[in-house]
Amino acid sequence: MSHIPLSHAFILAGILFVIGFIGVIARRNTLFMLMSLEVMLNSVGIAFIAAGSAWQEADGQIMFILILTLAAAEVAVGLALLIRLQQQRQSLDIDELSDMRG
Amino acid sequence: MSSLELFAIAPQLILSLAIVLQLLLIAVKRSTALIQYFTAISIVIAAGATPLVLPAVNTQSTILFYLDGFSIGVNLLIFLSAVIVCLISGRYLAISQEVHDEYYVLLLLVVLGASLVSIANHFASVFLGLELLSIALIGMVGYLRSRTQSLEAGFKYLILSATASSVLLFGMAMIYGFSGDMHFNYVSLSYTGAVNEQMRLLFSAGSVLLIAGIAFKLSLVPFHFWTPDVYQGAPAPVSMLLATVSKTAMFAVLVKFWFFAQLYANEQLMLIITVIAFASMLVGNLLALQQTNIKRLLAYSSIAHMGYLLVTLKVLAASSTQLAWESALFYLLTYCLANLLIFTFICQTSKANAGVDNDDWQHWRGLFWQSPVQASALIFALLSLAGIPLTAGFIGKFYLLTTAVDNGSWRLLASLVAGSGIGLYYYLRIIFVMFANANVQQALPLTRLSQALIVSLSLLILVFGILPDIISAEVRLFALSNFG
Repeated sequence: MSHIPLSHAFILAGILFVIGFIGVIARRNTLFMLMSLEVMLNSVGIAFIAAGSAWQEADGQIMFILILTLAAAEVAVGLALLIRLQQQRQSLDIDELSDMRG
Repeated sequence: MSSLELFAIAPQLILSLAIVLQLLLIAVKRSTALIQYFTAISIVIAAGATPLVLPAVNTQSTILFYLDGFSIGVNLLIFLSAVIVCLISGRYLAISQEVHDEYYVLLLLVVLGASLVSIANHFASVFLGLELLSIALIGMVGYLRSRTQSLEAGFKYLILSATASSVLLFGMAMIYGFSGDMHFNYVSLSYTGAVNEQMRLLFSAGSVLLIAGIAFKLSLVPFHFWTPDVYQGAPAPVSMLLATVSKTAMFAVLVKFWFFAQLYANEQLMLIITVIAFASMLVGNLLALQQTNIKRLLAYSSIAHMGYLLVTLKVLAASSTQLAWESALFYLLTYCLANLLIFTFICQTSKANAGVDNDDWQHWRGLFWQSPVQASALIFALLSLAGIPLTAGFIGKFYLLTTAVDNGSWRLLASLVAGSGIGLYYYLRIIFVMFANANVQQALPLTRLSQALIVSLSLLILVFGILPDIISAEVRLFALSNFG
């Protein structure tokens, strides 16, 4: 089994993170924005696990479990808001949902 | 775990217990008044546990928390703000037969998160406290589910706060990958030991991401876009919570991480902070000039105030950090007092069932002739935010100026002065509106409780401005007993 250097893991996590970030910024559908957030959070999880295994510690994995919990909580709140918004405005497009300006 | 370690986290334990009791209380009897008083009393008890906490100053409680004087000071500030928010929420939410239990549960969760974050000394505890704070706040921002603005603000806050959290976490992961430890104070130790250029790059990138994540939450330029919308859309008591509790707690994290990890010794990071501070002071103040909505105006002014606070981060040597802690604490105090007063007024003249809150400045036209006491109190708060002598805000600015001079940060000093100059314009404009001679459209009835709150807050602002000695000794005491 060959050894994977820490930098490679961080590069992978970085690429995933950027994909998620661009998704949050560029997507107009709120559901896809929530999915992109998941991608970002999971890329952080990879980074933590890689760092933890590089130091031979369990800390990174514990952080990953905490991040999973956060992602679940955030999506729960996000979907609840989304359903309410959909009922009110009949749309999931972030530009149409945005009223406040200035 | 020794008893001293338990005492160090006594307020947080009390708050956690109170949340469980709240849920049991809801199961037994649903009553808005009952749960409101229960919440207020439990926050007061948590604040009253401070004498228990005092002997435990400078204690490492488990590996997650480190209690120093600064965090006690910040905690007291958080509890004060939260009690006021709790007391004034009652009337704001009293619109129908609906019982608002969840609101108070969320409020206590926010307070718990904020006070955990301010004593955290480990990435895991920062993360947990921060998320407790943010997710509960998302719920509160979108709380008025029939109001479209509130839902929109809630969703915007959710997306941006989750993005900020992931940026922050990525920064933490990088620093962890570099140092192999998630304690604040080990980070600097391993930095001096590292010789590998690649590892140093990892550390710098991680710190930048971490600071960017915190800057999101503090709404510093260029991460400030969410602030005005969320302030405007959130129910008034929640905007108040955002402006005081959330900002104070996040700033405490930034200060602790910055000084414990000795990041001020890092030239590049210092440059980034200087640029962020400079931009926040100018952009915040310039954008506030065009606002006619008081909540939006306060949002922009909070961007500028957080920029002023960053001045304390620039220190030349470890010996001058003492003054920096002290100035930060005092400035946070004055900032919170003024914001609490203005938001108390907005909350008490608004109702949750209206489409928007009473935050258009045209509604304040001629307020002085109608109710001189309230208007004078508001004027003191605005002058304090502007930093006019004889108010607490001036002493706060004076602390910042002293810190800046002490550390020779002349560019920051210049932008602080320029920013305050611009700020004066829009604060005075509101005061002129209040003095304008116009027919008053509607009476703004206030309850005795909020009258008393407004008057006592304005007295505090005046007393701290005229006789800063009565509080500055305490502030110094809190600031002195920090790390080391």
